Amino acid sequence: MKNFLKGLVDIKHWKKKTKITWVIVLIVIAACIVLSFLKPSEADMKAMASPEMQEMIKADESSSRKRVTVTYNSLIIVNYCSFSTSGAKEITERYVGFVGKAFQADEGFGKFAGQMVNYTYRMLGCGENILHGAKLTLFLTTASTLIGVILGTLLALGKISKNKILSKACSAYIFFFRGTPLMIQLFVIYYTLPAVFGFAWRDLFSAADTQAVYKGAFIAALIAYGLNSGAYCAEIVRAAIQSIEKGQHEAAKALGLSYSKTMRLIIIPQSVRRMVPPICNEFIMMLKDASLVFAISLMDITTISKNIMTSEISYIVFLPALVIYLIITAFFTWIFNAIEKKFSLYE
Amino acid sequence: MKKMTRVISAIGAMVMSAALLAGCGNSKGAADAGSSAAADSAAVESTYDLTGVTLMSDGVLSVGCEVGYPPFEDFADDGTTPIGYDIDIITEVARRLGLEVNIINTAWDGIFAGIDNNYDVVCSACTITAERQESMAFSTPYISNYQAVILKAGDTKEITSFNDLDGMTVAVQKETTSDELISDYKSTGTIDVEIVANEKILSCFTQLDNGEIDAVCVDSTVADGYLAKNPDKYVYAYKDETEAEQFGVAIGLQNTALKEAIDWALAEMEADGFIQETYDYWFGQAE
Repeated sequence: MKNFLKGLVDIKHWKKKTKITWVIVLIVIAACIVLSFLKPSEADMKAMASPEMQEMIKADESSSRKRVTVTYNSLIIVNYCSFSTSGAKEITERYVGFVGKAFQADEGFGKFAGQMVNYTYRMLGCGENILHGAKLTLFLTTASTLIGVILGTLLALGKISKNKILSKACSAYIFFFRGTPLMIQLFVIYYTLPAVFGFAWRDLFSAADTQAVYKGAFIAALIAYGLNSGAYCAEIVRAAIQSIEKGQHEAAKALGLSYSKTMRLIIIPQSVRRMVPPICNEFIMMLKDASLVFAISLMDITTISKNIMTSEISYIVFLPALVIYLIITAFFTWIFNAIEKKFSLYE
Repeated sequence: MKKMTRVISAIGAMVMSAALLAGCGNSKGAADAGSSAAADSAAVESTYDLTGVTLMSDGVLSVGCEVGYPPFEDFADDGTTPIGYDIDIITEVARRLGLEVNIINTAWDGIFAGIDNNYDVVCSACTITAERQESMAFSTPYISNYQAVILKAGDTKEITSFNDLDGMTVAVQKETTSDELISDYKSTGTIDVEIVANEKILSCFTQLDNGEIDAVCVDSTVADGYLAKNPDKYVYAYKDETEAEQFGVAIGLQNTALKEAIDWALAEMEADGFIQETYDYWFGQAE
């Protein structure tokens, strides 16, 4: 860690390629900061509404049934504001704010830009808590992969252990969770268990918490995804452990190491490098499987984009969705590559 | 030799499982849809002139339908025959036009995108809205529907308008008019409500059973069907009589000849009491 930090400070000895990358990154960040200061303020955007719309907003203030929806989305360098009314006579006004000016965005490129900002904002789950959009996808995937790796290591050790009962139990677990679809496991944990045992996931949180229903559903999802991922990771870990040459076991034994020490100090560290690529694979699969949470009323990137498609009859919504997924995958592939590199010093 | 035995036994196993599967297929036979009103008599001579009507395949009206919204559309106990109010109506429409009917089960998401691509019309409890009318045509309405709020039996909360849902957690079926209505109440800031949007209406009622949510907002017609089947599980809390919604058959904008044909059949069915009779069968006498 210390060496790494030293290397970072010592810019003169950086590789040329790294230098160029960092310069580009810094320029982009600086540009974003400048642009974010230049974009119009929320109040300015809201003042853009036509006089007719302003009147309706005013009328709403004293009404018990409000009619105008004001949407304000701010995404680092641009912001988007729309006013819409529901009902038979539908009026919508859209504005996009960029570099100190608000543009009308009802048709042409402005409309496209506005839609992109609005869709990206909704898919990222901005302005909502962690259980929405990209945040949910990320949180659920990382948490369940972590649970999966830990659970999987234990299961793998159990499966290859000499204790017959333990070995059979772990095999049965793996067989069950790999042999049934994740969606049905999710249904069973969220719908069937509470119905059979008479509890509600929501009751895990305080009744006053309006988000309790999502939190409850998330806990159920986390359990289902964690248990499922554990079964897949178990096989990955087992394969990696068993791929280490027998000679290593024998050498450890000859040195007088106990079984647990052999595993902890010799075998598992060597097998980690072999686990990383398949676990990265499992992670990416999980990332895409996260969209199954639509079944228990949670909204991830895929579900939100599908919703937008049906409600706005717009197919361009999938473009920002693809970009968001690619960015997430690129980031985690990079992390997994770094882990793999770190552990390859044994080979 | 040992290898040979293995190959033979593998082939044997495959043949056996194929035979088993084939056995399953045969058990279907004559499925009784259990529907009273659907006319099963042979296609009558239609008095309507169908020239100019374009269909995906000649003599067959292909109907897109999200089967799984009882009592409008659901699978009969055999699991393959679609039954329900919509199915009866559209089957009778096709019969009066001298057409066969082909129900295509499809997901609700993107159901309208399939018109003229996968099927001719959509008959799946579709509310006629101004927004939808921009991209598709609708037949004359064949049923009126209201928005309703359902609570768990024993819940004594009094609900006299949607404003009373303030602070509650309400489940709706995704992308339905109930979803739009409650979302609108929320996005305009009228009330503060947590909306749980589910793919299937059944999920909403299961969540109500399990105590995950406080109320379900749903089409009154669907609520009627659920309450008739489970009278001691749920209670009717509120029905918004002020805004009626009407269901129609969705047709491609260009297909005006087909729209005229369907309108003609619906008018005839209204006139001779078929629609009322079918309504009474699926939703009970009271209306």
